[in-house]
Amino acid sequence: MIDQTDKKIISLIQGDLPVHSRPFALLAEKIGITEKTLLERISSLKKQGIIRRFGATLRHQEAGFSANAMIAWRAPDERIDEIGTVFAQFREVTHCYHRAPQKDWPYNLYTMVHGGSREECRRIAERLSRSANIRNYLLLFSEKEFKKTSMAYFSEKHHDEAI
Amino acid sequence: MNSTDRKILNEIQSDFPITSRPYQDLGRRLNLTEDEVMSAVRRMKEDGIIRRIGGNFHSSRLNFVSTLCAAKVPEEKVDRFVEAVNRHPGVTHNYLRNNPYNIWFTFIAEDMRFIENALKEISEETGIEEILNLPAIKMFKIKVDFEV
Repeated sequence: MIDQTDKKIISLIQGDLPVHSRPFALLAEKIGITEKTLLERISSLKKQGIIRRFGATLRHQEAGFSANAMIAWRAPDERIDEIGTVFAQFREVTHCYHRAPQKDWPYNLYTMVHGGSREECRRIAERLSRSANIRNYLLLFSEKEFKKTSMAYFSEKHHDEAI
Repeated sequence: MNSTDRKILNEIQSDFPITSRPYQDLGRRLNLTEDEVMSAVRRMKEDGIIRRIGGNFHSSRLNFVSTLCAAKVPEEKVDRFVEAVNRHPGVTHNYLRNNPYNIWFTFIAEDMRFIENALKEISEETGIEEILNLPAIKMFKIKVDFEV
């Protein structure tokens, strides 16, 4: 389990690491621990799988991925695991989740794909559809971004991403 | 972006060194100096290619829950609805999408009851009643690395 120090560390490293030759030494100083302790704790949080990834997050548009689509699939219940496993193997699929259908919304499997254009996203969807032999799907393109941020865990100032 | 930038980006998305001199270690891996790596990273941040460098967490391993929500919102109410939704710090992504369920957002919180209550309050405040709450039953993949 994580303790109070881990929580402080998490609330620091969910921001943006300063571009400095010893960035972790700067962070450690902020919460009154040594650089060595901070590095060990971060490595341990990684090993425990609490940190899923430590690194740079890109702005997709600036990095050449100008279109993203969520594809909602209507999969037969007994085939969800099989289809989800197939979809997860595609390089273009960044997220794949099984979610329960609801009310007037029968879709139960969701993939997020990124491509250079909407047309490319459509082609990826067709390839996914053929590979898993599932026809019933909906392409949901993002037309406008209202919010995109990282979660602020254990943080009092939720809105400030910078460290 | 030049080829050095691409090399750096492909290296630092999932394998940023957790070491005392991370930029020096990256330089060794990529055959660049510490200064070259640092100035390329600084420039790509300024240009908005890199949004941030830091940790990304498994919310469930921190005992948080997350869900995907979708709402049917008439055009004239979109601004007000988005404002009410985005006010919540646990809402991390929110997009307009091409469907009658046109507003799609993710919501992270310490428990599902908190999210259910928040959705109820948003409904009451905005008059929008058709909001789907679609928590994940199973995750097959989450990967946010891009080869550039």
